[in-house]
Amino acid sequence: MRLLEWEAKDIFRSYGIPVPEGRVITDPKKAEEICSALEGDVVLKAQVDVGGRGKEGGVLFADPLSVADTAETLFHRTIKGVPVERVLIEERLEILHEYYLSITIDRSSREILLLFSSEGGVDIETLASERPDEIRRIAIPPILSEVPAFAIRELARGAPREIGSIVSRLYRLFREKDAVLAEINPLVLTPRGLCAADAKLIVDDNALQRQGISVNRSLTRREQEAERHGFSYVELEGDIGVIGNGAGLTMATLDLIAQAGGRAANFLDVGGGAERERVMHAVRLVAGMPSVRVILVNLLGGITRCDEVAHGILDANVPQKIFVRLAGTNEEEGRRILAEKGYRMFDTMEQAVYAAVGVR
Amino acid sequence: MIYAGRYDGVIVQNATGRQGTFHIGLMNAYAKEIGGVGVVAGVAPGKGGQQVHGVPVYESVRDAVREHDANVSVCFVPAPAAGDAIMEAAHAGMELCVVITEHIPVHDTMRALSYARLKDCTVVGPNCPGILSPGECKLGIIPAHLAMRGHVGVVSRSGTLTYEVVHELTRAGIGQSTIVGIGGDPVIGQTFVDVLGRFEADGETEAVVLIGEVGGALEEEGAASTDIPLVAYIAGRTAPPEKRMGHAGAIVEGGTGDAASKMKNLEKMGVPVASKPSEIPLLIREIV
Repeated sequence: MRLLEWEAKDIFRSYGIPVPEGRVITDPKKAEEICSALEGDVVLKAQVDVGGRGKEGGVLFADPLSVADTAETLFHRTIKGVPVERVLIEERLEILHEYYLSITIDRSSREILLLFSSEGGVDIETLASERPDEIRRIAIPPILSEVPAFAIRELARGAPREIGSIVSRLYRLFREKDAVLAEINPLVLTPRGLCAADAKLIVDDNALQRQGISVNRSLTRREQEAERHGFSYVELEGDIGVIGNGAGLTMATLDLIAQAGGRAANFLDVGGGAERERVMHAVRLVAGMPSVRVILVNLLGGITRCDEVAHGILDANVPQKIFVRLAGTNEEEGRRILAEKGYRMFDTMEQAVYAAVGVR
Repeated sequence: MIYAGRYDGVIVQNATGRQGTFHIGLMNAYAKEIGGVGVVAGVAPGKGGQQVHGVPVYESVRDAVREHDANVSVCFVPAPAAGDAIMEAAHAGMELCVVITEHIPVHDTMRALSYARLKDCTVVGPNCPGILSPGECKLGIIPAHLAMRGHVGVVSRSGTLTYEVVHELTRAGIGQSTIVGIGGDPVIGQTFVDVLGRFEADGETEAVVLIGEVGGALEEEGAASTDIPLVAYIAGRTAPPEKRMGHAGAIVEGGTGDAASKMKNLEKMGVPVASKPSEIPLLIREIV
């Protein structure tokens, strides 16, 4: 789950990483008061969970005279469809230089990867593809609790020495907060020293509970409901509802639908052990999307009991037509139960997909 | 056959849980059918002295190996304690640890893999269905009845999609040497590179089916590392960016790891890429 900038900055501050002076407001009328406390020009930043906020008009500058109007303007905006409900007001920094610093996980080496560039403030992916030599990287074995001094020297050679302590603190934060990405872009050099002008922190979804985060905000309401049932669920834009077991098989089902000329309304992986009640909830959840015209169930399991699945489908009792491909234990029984009620059953996923796409 | 054979003794961690109990039954039924050793002991802290399908349960891996000859562990320990369980297996001298558990926090996985490497313990998974060498051994939850012994290896990030492909191969009369599920997490013990290296050294395997997903670049790294003939399939062509498609590792991030570029990269290396699972047996016939 991606934290909002102000939440990330609160955590950065608690680890001793310098961040700009500022406050979060939910009411534009508070803007003037905050601004006068900050004594000078300010920047107003919409706290919305979308990327590329700056390009969409989510970051505005103001002076003490214009701040009230600017706040009104920002609170009335929607950024990529998300209404602005919170705004972070910060002192405007005097920028001497911009650096880039991030910590992430390297899938290939299975280690913690530190990235640094003396060209901050730009899109790091663009920099990586256009001038990869401008990014220095070093992987740290995850059993090390501190970044070794040589690694810091190698990473930030030529940059202010102060960066070393920021790297160490960010590394500790990264490990303790179960982060999968901690990024400072830009890390700004001001006349008063270094400061994290922006802060990005993504927490491992598998560690939310032990980090004390009870609701994964990155998910839509329906996705949260799916999560409560233990499903993996993603909303898409088509009209064929899809229920599968296993992420790979469900993705392959969506791909086949697209190849056959159809469009899937969702991705739903019921997970292992598709019992009667779980299947019922899955079918109801998918059928509850207004866009769903037909439903395709593709379940293949060594241990999935097909009779349970069949009863689950019947229990759901939804109006849409359901196409079913079932393979596993008690396959014959499952097929008989559904066939008796007039459901169309298929031997392979391809047959089921073509039939579902063919319905007009 | 790679990783393990019929004479390797197996320990199951969290033997008394629902999954552990169920799969000890299936693994030992398979071992009996083919004349293998199978699961010799279970581990469940606080439940030492119990039995599961006639298999004795111990307090720790160390206790279990004191009484039994075993070098492989299959781990069903729930996510919050699974990282610790991997380290325990490595510490007790297991040479191979197959981790079925899903939803392990990635920092736990990273640390456990680092520790296991220090102890020379090979980890497969986490979040994987395990390993099946038809006629030799079954470590994990891959349904044995779908498979058939032969000369094609299968390596995959998925579970059920692997079963689908194995089923297609068997129906087409193409047998498998070993089927390895490497797991759907972003950080895993054995990657395509590792498994393909083993297949290359294995006298029985003539070609390999590589089943990948969106996210990361492990598929390309694997294909580039080997000379063994490959056929690939990549799931997730329709996956939208920044959305996790079920697996923690299946996410298109920062414009990298999408299916179209993966397929293009593989084709550039001369690897035939199937457009759908049912095409895989046809492509295998063309190269073997």
